[in-house]
Amino acid sequence: MNQRIFLWMSTGAIAAMMAAGPLAGQTSVVVAKPDAKAADKSDAKAPTKTKAEAPFAAPKTPWGDPDIQGTWTSDDTWGVPFERPKNFGTRATLTEDEIKAREKAVERSAEFVENGGENHSPAKAQIDAAAKGEAPPAPPQGRYGRGVDSAPVPGHWGEFARRASHQTSQIVDPPDGRLPPLTPEAQAKLDAKNKLRRDPVPASYENWSWYDRCISRGVAGSILPVIYGNGLEIVQTPGYVAIRYEMVHDVRIIPTDGRPHLSSNIRSFMGDAVGHWEGKTLVVETTNLLGDRMAVGVNGDGGPPYSEDLKLTERFTRVSANTVNYEMTVDDPKTYTATWKVAFPITHEPGYQLFEYACHEGNMAMHNMLSTARLEDAKKTSAAPQPAK
Amino acid sequence: MCKSWMITAAACAAFVMAGSPSPAQTAGGRIPRMADGKPNLTGLWQAFGTADWDLEDHSAEAGPFFQLGAIGAIPPGQGVVEGGEIPYLPAALAKKKENQANRWKQDPEVKCYMPGVPRAVYLPYPFQIIQSQKDILFAYEYATTNRLINMGKPQEAATDTWMGTSNGHWEKDTLVVDVTGFNGLAWFDRAGDFASDMLHVVERYTPLDANTINYEATIEDPATFSKPWKISLLLYRNRDKNARLLEFKCVEYAEQLLYGDLVRKDSK
Repeated sequence: MNQRIFLWMSTGAIAAMMAAGPLAGQTSVVVAKPDAKAADKSDAKAPTKTKAEAPFAAPKTPWGDPDIQGTWTSDDTWGVPFERPKNFGTRATLTEDEIKAREKAVERSAEFVENGGENHSPAKAQIDAAAKGEAPPAPPQGRYGRGVDSAPVPGHWGEFARRASHQTSQIVDPPDGRLPPLTPEAQAKLDAKNKLRRDPVPASYENWSWYDRCISRGVAGSILPVIYGNGLEIVQTPGYVAIRYEMVHDVRIIPTDGRPHLSSNIRSFMGDAVGHWEGKTLVVETTNLLGDRMAVGVNGDGGPPYSEDLKLTERFTRVSANTVNYEMTVDDPKTYTATWKVAFPITHEPGYQLFEYACHEGNMAMHNMLSTARLEDAKKTSAAPQPAK
Repeated sequence: MCKSWMITAAACAAFVMAGSPSPAQTAGGRIPRMADGKPNLTGLWQAFGTADWDLEDHSAEAGPFFQLGAIGAIPPGQGVVEGGEIPYLPAALAKKKENQANRWKQDPEVKCYMPGVPRAVYLPYPFQIIQSQKDILFAYEYATTNRLINMGKPQEAATDTWMGTSNGHWEKDTLVVDVTGFNGLAWFDRAGDFASDMLHVVERYTPLDANTINYEATIEDPATFSKPWKISLLLYRNRDKNARLLEFKCVEYAEQLLYGDLVRKDSK
């Protein structure tokens, strides 16, 4: 973890957004070179689609589709609250002063990563205090106080925004930038999930999120920005667009030749995506998702488990050489009482590339967390009064 | 899609020119091509045969779990290794035998780990090639594994990985992929064949017609083999109607095997 997390917390975002996932499970990490100077100047102040830009001749593939290929990252939205803090009301963009403050924060976080290697995690704070003979700081509450989530994370693991987004939230619809109320059914599922996740002595691997288990982050979780692994790569061929995500090496093959969805009997974590081009915009509709597992939220676990009726509609529009505007509309009447939408740019950054993220293969964290839990069980048993012989 | 009434004849012709190899267009045998004339390997491919059970010749035998009956048995197969046998160094051959003896616990495929190269190619699951005008994506159904073949300036492996670092180029109609930077943890098959992190694989994908690719891989690893060796097999296009790469996220099916001894006894 690093200080951006704390900066970002101060914006009032929900804690679940920071889920760091199976940190010990990775064999390679993105080391996104902080190359802000080399970034496309035309994008520097235009992280949202609201800014008028010079007419941009969108590149086309040799077969005539808009060309959105390459490596992209949602890093620039790192630090923008998922839900809008209530004090902003229906104001979707920051004021000049607020932008200046965010620019400062972005600068600080970039510097921090550039000088990387320092640890700012709760666990490291404890270790540092002990080394100095000082009283340890109060341990953080909730899930971040235990297991992999409190492990020290070096700064150079972190990704960061290179430009200050002008958005007050990632959610742009409803107009207040906040999630619509949950259905009672979804609230019950959320409560049950939270109980499972927050069990201080987990019984099984099933207590952990699908991401902690290195299974998937889902469609939304694969692009909503987190502390690292925000990269995706788009490859096109006539009749298909493919998107590969670094984290958990998820990949989506999206036919754009007008074919129908798979039978609704075939369900999966990433769902069935079909796409089409509307002018220069790639529109992708995803259905056939497995219900009652992942959430439309950070790392696929922030929020209530969605139902199998979830339909996601994403729009990818290239607006400059280094920027694609991304939108995702969430439609799941069994979970949310209204549709809602996130929107943010994804950018091409010099030096940024995807690495193999062998999450499950190196998921020693699961072994360690479970064996610790069984040790806790054993301690409890041995401490309990023994039955009379 | 050219059969669709929505598509005009002109649009259909343009689509065929661009080389989208949908089954209807590729039945005739013509190799689909990209605009630049290179073969377009885009499609859903799969190997027949039993190479994933054992790259070498092998007889049928019983599987480890009688409960699975005939389903769990090992089918017989003719090997795909040129010359018949893999030229192991003595110590490596001993290791292979040890692997084979422990395969139901040690095979990375049992654990849903990434398959490495060339194993990904002949696993009993399909894979999808997405060929752009630049790089080429290989997406394997098994474990959602994928790798991008860099067709630009060759790049040195930044770090060792399961799937290695792939640099490709064309030699006439053959896609040649040079793969290095392996971590040495993958196996070649369920029989325990393996290599070290010095593994170097050169793959050759040669389309024979629209629906068949001749696949060859030259395997080199001076820490494991006395000389380079080669496998060759055919890859077939899946031409079933609306055939699609599906999701086989097998981690879930390996968790009880991997972590079961650490699960609280009353909870499972």
